[in-house]
Amino acid sequence: MNEQTNIELFPLERTLRGLRERFADAVIDADRNSMREHQVVVPAARLREVAAAVHREWGGALITAFALDEPEHGRIRLHYLFSMAPDDAVITLIAAIPADDPRFPSVTSEVQAAHWLEREMQDMIGLVAEDHPDPRPLVAHDGWPRGCHPLRRDFTPPAGMSWPPRFAFTPVEGEGVFEIPVGPIHAGIIEPGHFRFATVGESILKLDVRLGWKYRALETLARGEPVARALEIAERACGLCAFSHALAFSGAVEEAAGVLAPPRARALRSLAGELERIYNHCSDLSGILLDVAYAVGAAEGQRLKEVVQQVCDALFGHRFLRGLCVPGGVTRDLDDAQQHWLRAVLAPVRGDVEALVHAATSNAAVMDRLAEAGALGQEPARDLGVVGPAARACGIARDVRRIHPYAFYRDLDFQVPVRNRGDVLARFSVKADETYESLNIIDQMLLHLPGGLLMEEGVALPAGRSGLGLVESPRGLLSHWIRAGEGGTIDEWRMRSASHANWPAVAIAVLDNIVPDFPLINKSFNLCYACVDR
Amino acid sequence: MWEILVTSLKHGVVTAKPAARLPADLAPAPRHADGEIELLGQALRAEIRRVFRSSMKLRHVDCGSCNGCESELQALLNPFYDLQRFGIDFVASPRHADALVVTGPPALHLEEALRLTDEATPRPRLIVAVGDCACSGGFCAGSFATRRGVHEVVPVDVRIPGCPPRPEEITRGLLKALRG
Repeated sequence: MNEQTNIELFPLERTLRGLRERFADAVIDADRNSMREHQVVVPAARLREVAAAVHREWGGALITAFALDEPEHGRIRLHYLFSMAPDDAVITLIAAIPADDPRFPSVTSEVQAAHWLEREMQDMIGLVAEDHPDPRPLVAHDGWPRGCHPLRRDFTPPAGMSWPPRFAFTPVEGEGVFEIPVGPIHAGIIEPGHFRFATVGESILKLDVRLGWKYRALETLARGEPVARALEIAERACGLCAFSHALAFSGAVEEAAGVLAPPRARALRSLAGELERIYNHCSDLSGILLDVAYAVGAAEGQRLKEVVQQVCDALFGHRFLRGLCVPGGVTRDLDDAQQHWLRAVLAPVRGDVEALVHAATSNAAVMDRLAEAGALGQEPARDLGVVGPAARACGIARDVRRIHPYAFYRDLDFQVPVRNRGDVLARFSVKADETYESLNIIDQMLLHLPGGLLMEEGVALPAGRSGLGLVESPRGLLSHWIRAGEGGTIDEWRMRSASHANWPAVAIAVLDNIVPDFPLINKSFNLCYACVDR
Repeated sequence: MWEILVTSLKHGVVTAKPAARLPADLAPAPRHADGEIELLGQALRAEIRRVFRSSMKLRHVDCGSCNGCESELQALLNPFYDLQRFGIDFVASPRHADALVVTGPPALHLEEALRLTDEATPRPRLIVAVGDCACSGGFCAGSFATRRGVHEVVPVDVRIPGCPPRPEEITRGLLKALRG
């Protein structure tokens, strides 16, 4: 076998072997935190080197990175978590830096996906990422007082913060270059974010995306709270992916507690997760068609979204499935009559989505806008760590349900649709195809719903244990990480959504497109702002 | 054109009908009890009601919600809820607005944006707080980075609680404000 083939096979084994052979002097400690997670402690000075090897040579894809303040040890510990797909394994690189000199070598030059994550560490804990290509504050808008770091353990909220929105946007100079600022308040019913375009004529030269407007300090708020309250917070980080958040959070708690939800609960989790995927994708298809002024198609997409949301309300008591998934299992069941009704209500949906896609793709005016707009190449997508349908539209065939199976997905038969062009049409098509697969999955669940309990009773959370929950939310890989505290509380919680990973890619996808296509390109990703800002 | 006709004829008029109709023997899952819609503020005088009752334009301002309320506000324009049949619609600029619909706790980063939007809205105007976060800070009351309700920034005339409130509840709140 040549070297190139080796990279695709057994990345976990290659990584562990490579660490033993090449970095034996750098590895301070190595431990297996769970079935899936291998922790490797390295000195901060070697962090960039080792991360580069894990990412570039052994096929690791960055899931998330965060820092934990440990004042009792006088240090701050950095965590970089890599998915070793196709192995169901996670490699966590851990490096400690002294609390009184919190500088560390930025890994962004080697692992571009760490870009925004390291900027957040700077804001939230007060670290300095040395040689970071863009060290501007991410969340900390101007007006934050010095020394205000909400994820430090000794953080006390400052009084009288003022928030004048001035930010150093990168200027683009040249003859005929215009700067167009848009937001944070936008013209439609939509979330706040600031976009600064540099344009020549209508063509976009550069886009600076500035988020952080919806920062609610959720990770600080959840610290020290009982699991139920932390779950309430986690479930409300985002509305459209609420169930995925509850599921990933529950998965993290369950991993720390060393329990598995019973089979019937896992099956219902898959079923509910697919209902969430369907209404999100119908909403996304509708949004794309709205932005090309195909009003009938947009209305039909909204109609389908409404059908599924009313189904969620009727069966599970909440249009966004809040309150359904808890650590240990699920809170509601589906009896035979409900399952029969679900099958009947969803039966026409597949045909309706097919008709919608057919109507849109046969329409020359629609296709003229969708095809080739907002093309994202596979290489930048891979480097930036793009996830979800946006990545699959560029040919990156990764889906958490396949790589790190959770709920019932290990035992289900489904396709992972992939396209290659990476344009708006590709993202539109991937979402449509995924909708059909979600309907297939629900059909399978309804045929083979296992009996038994809905809840694993008595989930006891030992203090100091950590756990990681990974879920394929409608927008892609979502991770929740928790460390348990005393008495069944959450000591630390770190969440990274798919939108957080994908936002930098939007700035690449719009280059050389025209400004009026920006809403369309943005809608084709349809990323959340709320779960990015937190 | 043909697809449009076929789709319309197939579904018929769906406005004000349930999208997913439960059979008679199947009870819907129990829901959380939502809070009461509150009408506050001096602005809800009979005169203002008379002026706005046949046409009210709304400007939405997201001040840090989780986007659940946004999704429900967008749903108001779908074929089932069709808010426009009441003469109520969303506009793109606060200068065209009769009422501001505010979601979110508000987050401190967006306070100034909310104030500027309110200053840009011509009087008379109503302010409607949609969702638990906008009414009282909701689940993030206690966070240092948010307020405990829109009323801490601008005066609120209508409070529609829920997490998120369903589109029919939002509609009921708006119509109650208009018609009493």
